[in-house]
Amino acid sequence: MEPREAGIDSLLRRSMAEPVPSLPPDFDQRLMREVGRSSQRLDRYRRLLLTGYGLTSVVASALVMRGQGLDWGAIAVMIIGPLALVEAARRARRATCATMEHGAR
Amino acid sequence: MGSDSQLVARAQGGDQQAFGELVRRHSDPVFRLAVSILGREFIPEAEDVAQEVFLKVHRAIESFRGEAEFSSWLYRIAFNQAVNLKARVRFRNPHADDTVLYRAMTPGPGPERQAETAQRDQALAECIRTLPEVYQSALRLYYWLDTGVGEMAVLLGVPENTAKSYLHRARQLLHGMLKERGYSCE
Repeated sequence: MEPREAGIDSLLRRSMAEPVPSLPPDFDQRLMREVGRSSQRLDRYRRLLLTGYGLTSVVASALVMRGQGLDWGAIAVMIIGPLALVEAARRARRATCATMEHGAR
Repeated sequence: MGSDSQLVARAQGGDQQAFGELVRRHSDPVFRLAVSILGREFIPEAEDVAQEVFLKVHRAIESFRGEAEFSSWLYRIAFNQAVNLKARVRFRNPHADDTVLYRAMTPGPGPERQAETAQRDQALAECIRTLPEVYQSALRLYYWLDTGVGEMAVLLGVPENTAKSYLHRARQLLHGMLKERGYSCE
């Protein structure tokens, strides 16, 4: 270190020799509580958004199909049919997984 | 408990305990980085920055792809968050800190000499505040917060030689500024 730098170095050491601050001991716990609260809020918000989107799209589709002259029975089949198919596929997959797990045991 | 990348993978799968461990590992460095940017007048704000950074990281952890170290990503977010907050609080009255008390308790030379030292320290603090953010942060980390050059480099996200050059350049600039104001550094 050059002499003039050594001078400013010792000046900085003297002038900045102060207590070092630290986080409160319960910081991590408080933070994790806040994380839990905020992720719950986010989950609620996501669910609300998805439900809103789903309902809006069902109503819009129904109105468009009705506008095309379809009767309510056909509209119900068109909307409920795919949903029932998805649910049936989900159940079938779960049943297959359970059978495979049982077989492995 | 595993490496950071293992903990991140678990946290991405919704494991709160893994995220808690990441917080435990990195909360102190994040706080120190925030303090080094905000200065001693805004320590409560630095704590808020640390909290906000971890909340932000928790919301965004699914988007973290592991192309860089988790700590580099975290410290970059902390640096930006603290710099943004500093721009907002710049004109606010700083909090009274315990430095005054600390100084009063520290035995020193006579009143005249003390006043002289206080004046020079005040001038030095003003000069530091005019330096670029990274220089200010480097000086506070090194001289105040007892951070070694290696750790400082990690916190600032630069190679060790660059961290050293920040200190070197900052000292040179301060020397010139103090000389202009009529203070000797000897």
